[in-house]
Amino acid sequence: MEMTDNNDFSQIPQATPEPRKRIMFSVVWIIPILAAVVALGIAIDRFLSEGPTITIVFKTAEGVEAGKTFIKYKDVNIGQVTKVKLSKDYHKVVITAKIDKSAEGLLVDDAKFWVVQPRVTLSGVSGISTLLSGNYIGFEAGKGSTLRNDFQGLDIPPAVMETEPGRQFILQAPTLGSLGIGSPLYYRQLNVGRVVAYDLSKDGKSVMIRVFVNKPYDSYVTEETRFWQSSGLDVSLGANGLTVKTQSVLSLLIGGIAFEVPPFVKEDRPAEANAIYNLYADKATAMAQEDGVIVNYVLYFDESVHGLVPSAPVTLHGLSIGEVTAVGLEYSEANADTRPRVDIALYPERFLKRAQLSLHTTDQIRNRNACNTFLRRLVSRGLRAQLRSGNLLLGQRFITFEFFPKSAPIHVDWSHETPTLPVTASGLVDLEAKVNTILVKMEKIPYTEIGEELKLALKYMNETVKKLGEDILPEAKQTMTDLRRAIAAAEKILQSGEQNLVGTDAPAQQELREALREIARAARAVSVFTEYLEQNPSALIRGKIPKNP
Amino acid sequence: MSSPALTSQKAGLVRCETCGLLSKPFRPNIPGYCPRCGYRLFFRRHKTIQYTWALIIAAAICYIPANVLPVLTRMTITYTKEDTIIDGILALYLEGSWHLALIVLIASIIIPIAKLVALAYLLCIVQFRSRGANIDRMRLYRLTDFVGRWSMLDVFVVTFAVALVQLQPFLTAKPAPGVLFFAAVVVLTMLAAKTFDPRLIWDIDTTREDGNDR
Repeated sequence: MEMTDNNDFSQIPQATPEPRKRIMFSVVWIIPILAAVVALGIAIDRFLSEGPTITIVFKTAEGVEAGKTFIKYKDVNIGQVTKVKLSKDYHKVVITAKIDKSAEGLLVDDAKFWVVQPRVTLSGVSGISTLLSGNYIGFEAGKGSTLRNDFQGLDIPPAVMETEPGRQFILQAPTLGSLGIGSPLYYRQLNVGRVVAYDLSKDGKSVMIRVFVNKPYDSYVTEETRFWQSSGLDVSLGANGLTVKTQSVLSLLIGGIAFEVPPFVKEDRPAEANAIYNLYADKATAMAQEDGVIVNYVLYFDESVHGLVPSAPVTLHGLSIGEVTAVGLEYSEANADTRPRVDIALYPERFLKRAQLSLHTTDQIRNRNACNTFLRRLVSRGLRAQLRSGNLLLGQRFITFEFFPKSAPIHVDWSHETPTLPVTASGLVDLEAKVNTILVKMEKIPYTEIGEELKLALKYMNETVKKLGEDILPEAKQTMTDLRRAIAAAEKILQSGEQNLVGTDAPAQQELREALREIARAARAVSVFTEYLEQNPSALIRGKIPKNP
Repeated sequence: MSSPALTSQKAGLVRCETCGLLSKPFRPNIPGYCPRCGYRLFFRRHKTIQYTWALIIAAAICYIPANVLPVLTRMTITYTKEDTIIDGILALYLEGSWHLALIVLIASIIIPIAKLVALAYLLCIVQFRSRGANIDRMRLYRLTDFVGRWSMLDVFVVTFAVALVQLQPFLTAKPAPGVLFFAAVVVLTMLAAKTFDPRLIWDIDTTREDGNDR
């Protein structure tokens, strides 16, 4: 469209002295720039404050919800679960969580995660706060230094926090008994720790129980400390009456472990952490003095060792000096015969100390040769091993060493690793002893006095007999004639009644015959019955089984 | 489609934007001041296109954090949850009240973006002088201007929630940074709609040789 105005040149623009202004950027652009800066700033801030995202694998996701479950360390939120899903093989649950930037450094190799739930056990209640807040994931920082993002969650909370002051020790026991995680540990009936873990030993032959002793008390665990199961009641009946001992009502219910240092221990040092101890069944066993040196011997008996079992005592003068370790048969090629072989273990410390030998130093006592020397001396004086009955009712037997000075000298090969000690047959010796006692008793019988008294008695008898002849005999003669007369009368009565009673057709006779026949029939029935019973003994219980053709 | 209408500028006149008085400009290039109300006169609003673009871009930038950042923080004894606008819409939808979800979706997500798109579209056609149905474009502008004030819904909701939901320690609500950006989006788009000079739409049909300064 053309402009159709009147002026021809008025519309021709005039040149300007200055170049025309370029399009100026207005101040208004500050607004988008400001907006961009703020938005970008926030984005960068968010990005920088973004903590790591980790995954934790759990067996189940019980009580864990995405967006609701937090990860707490020392009750401080350090992250939040963002995703809960199954693992690729559907066996486990993979939980994805976002951890705060501030807690990034905690995510080391050995960090632990577990789901905190309210737990009510006999030994205590934990996680009560989760009743209000819902479950959360507990966290325990590790000691490692390498960071990582994928973790394996624990099924149960770790029994001991890394930060908890105290030390752990390991107890070895044949069985776990009534112990469990959280079972209390007592020192002088003070709860000073607890069982934190247990597992089978590598060979599967014992249980390794891990206990945790709280800080100030862990110093009371020394190298000589004995641990024992304090579960249950300890009831003993003694001269003082009935004594009932228990650590606490709690330990009565859930069992527990007690420890103490035996009173006879002189030198002792504090134990190192993770030291291994035996867990004894009870206090008495735990506090018993251990037999440091064991010397083994062999005994061959020529008689039945019925009733002799391992751990049966070996006594000397009625005191236990060892125990039977094994009982078995041994076949000897030489005379093609078997004989019972009994292995015994002697604890020389028990009798060498008491025997007050000239063995002064412990080193000497702790020497097998010393024991051998000691025994050699005794054997030469007639020491023999012998089987004895410990309990006549139960047939238990034990081994005792006795002196038989008159027994023939015997050669013992002391150089052998397990020397064979001489034995004496118990039966013969028993018999000998019995005969001996009988003879002794017979010797003590007062023969002369008995003779005197016998003489007196005879004299008295003589007088009595004389009196009898003078006073009683005439009267007896009279009685005899009376008796004879009575018998004759009876004979007469019998003869008259013979026809009625004894005749072949006499009714009594007939009845008697009938009765006898009845009896014979009954006897036959009984014999049939017993025969049947013999074949069908079950008929006694079930009755006669009807015969089916 | 319709023949170009005569504009005041074309006729060498200037109209006061405040009182509407049509007057002759002081000089052909300098409009001067309104003889009746004394307000400054413009042939066309000062650098209107640049201003509007700037505000639209600023609004677009703010639109992102407004939707990404949470607008409300809820704190109960047990947990703390931050909700974005999308979270709120989803929550409403999942609870079954889809109509409410739809209202919030339209008011908070669709309208701001529609405003931005509409203004950008108008600016483009003005800049590139694309001829078309100017009446419809004018309607679009009016709609944009009208709807602007209603987009503050979310900001109001957050304000009310924060003020009312204070059942400490059981439940507390706190505004989160997203709401600030959301408010900025609304304000910036409203300003952009105000800065845009709708008269430019009518200028498209006229020839280039007009001496206004944009």
